[in-house]
Amino acid sequence: MKYMLMLYETETDWSQHPEELQASLAEHDAFDAWLKERGIPVVGGEALHGNSSATTLRKVGDEMVVTDGPYAELKESLGGFYIIDVKDLDEAIEVARRCPTGTGTEIRPVWEMPDS
Amino acid sequence: MATAYRREWAQVLATVVRLTRDLDAAQDAVQEAFASAVTAWRAGGVPDNPGAWLTTAARRKAVSARRRAAALESRLPLLVVPDEPDMSDFPDDRLRLLFTCCHPALDLPARVALTLNVVCGLPTADIGPLFLVPPATMAARVTRAKRKIRAAGIPYRVPGPDEIGARLPAVLSTVYLLFVQGHTPPRGTELTAADVTGRALDLARMLADLLPGTAEVAGLLALLLLTEARQPARVDATGAPVLLADQDRSRWDQRMIAEGLALVPVPPRGPYALQAAIAAVHARAATAADTDWSAIVALYDRLLAVHPSPVAALARTMAYAEVAGPSAGLAELDVLAADDRLASYHVLPAARADLLRRLGRSAEAAEAYAAAAALAGNAAERAYLASRAADMETGPRPGGEGRDGDPR
Repeated sequence: MKYMLMLYETETDWSQHPEELQASLAEHDAFDAWLKERGIPVVGGEALHGNSSATTLRKVGDEMVVTDGPYAELKESLGGFYIIDVKDLDEAIEVARRCPTGTGTEIRPVWEMPDS
Repeated sequence: MATAYRREWAQVLATVVRLTRDLDAAQDAVQEAFASAVTAWRAGGVPDNPGAWLTTAARRKAVSARRRAAALESRLPLLVVPDEPDMSDFPDDRLRLLFTCCHPALDLPARVALTLNVVCGLPTADIGPLFLVPPATMAARVTRAKRKIRAAGIPYRVPGPDEIGARLPAVLSTVYLLFVQGHTPPRGTELTAADVTGRALDLARMLADLLPGTAEVAGLLALLLLTEARQPARVDATGAPVLLADQDRSRWDQRMIAEGLALVPVPPRGPYALQAAIAAVHARAATAADTDWSAIVALYDRLLAVHPSPVAALARTMAYAEVAGPSAGLAELDVLAADDRLASYHVLPAARADLLRRLGRSAEAAEAYAAAAALAGNAAERAYLASRAADMETGPRPGGEGRDGDPR
């Protein structure tokens, strides 16, 4: 089954913290290496810019209104994601435990179409 | 038939689930198998191995139901049933069923409801009233949990030896909450308290059979047995609760106590083992005055070290008051009262009232009993606390203070 791991972190302006950014990237490299070693397929994954960069379209009647900011007002920001392909939730939890994250990680199964 | 249902349900269902990979389909098939057993066994007698008979019948029903449903392909993925080469570690499928229903990715109320419905085979209509929840709400809760199991890919498996320690607490807390619910049922429930505590005991026994040598499992079963043993003495003829100190100990179930005492792990380390050890100290005391309160305080200290909780801290303080006297207890209680998590817990003002009463401070005691009565959820407890408040206002009962005022 495919799962998306959504990594949440406290909003950080990484450009002001270059050493921490390097350290974080190194952690993700190590995690990548661990995934390869375990033979766990990674379908995708990216790091995202923070809440202050977000734009949200909201449905107002029939219109989509462009607004500033993220969809959900959280103190934390969705900092990045991975999509992995594993056996079941237990394995996804095991991978998520290993995955570097800020304040927490949400695991969601990817909807798989019956004909795929 | 009722006995067969209670004894065989989980085993038959656990096997059929592997075939259907769908909890609902398996439950329907097992239900139908029990229905046909009623007629078949009446005509031909009960087979030598009712479980095997029921499993065969349920498998057959499941296969034909699947053929009928093949056209209506479900949009949800099927249950993940791993092919485990190491299945011989846990040959009993009932354990898979229990670990699946008690997965930590499900919240505790969902785990309890699912365990009652799936593992114990109780219809949701009977479970709702137990939690003061309308049957439709309970049915929705169970359905939502079953959908999550499938959609999220919670596997139908027993965790491996390296994970079982981390996964066991979710199972044990589910069984424990089920027991507590039966032990202090809200009023007007269809299921009697004994039914529910009986189910919790069945599950704890099953776990103890399937995971022998696991200290916390033995601890949980011991705790349930030692608590249940006091059941006949917990209420008086009018249905009013009787405090541990005032219980007629000759009414305690000695067979359960003996079984429970033999199970308490030595030395107790985990939270259930420690709570069982505390229950064991009470069980060993021939009279309330014989209780070894110092041992109980020491056990609570260890419990608070491994599993801190404000409720356990409160119980520890009451035990400490037995050792050091009511004024010392009251001083500790004032410290605990600052914990917000105890703000709506009726036992806190009730404990305070009890200590104030022993110190002869009747007016303050009456106030505290009234505050406790206002917070109590169980009607019998509420009535009891209100009557204590009234007693305080009419003056202390003869001989009340002198006896209780001294440390025991």
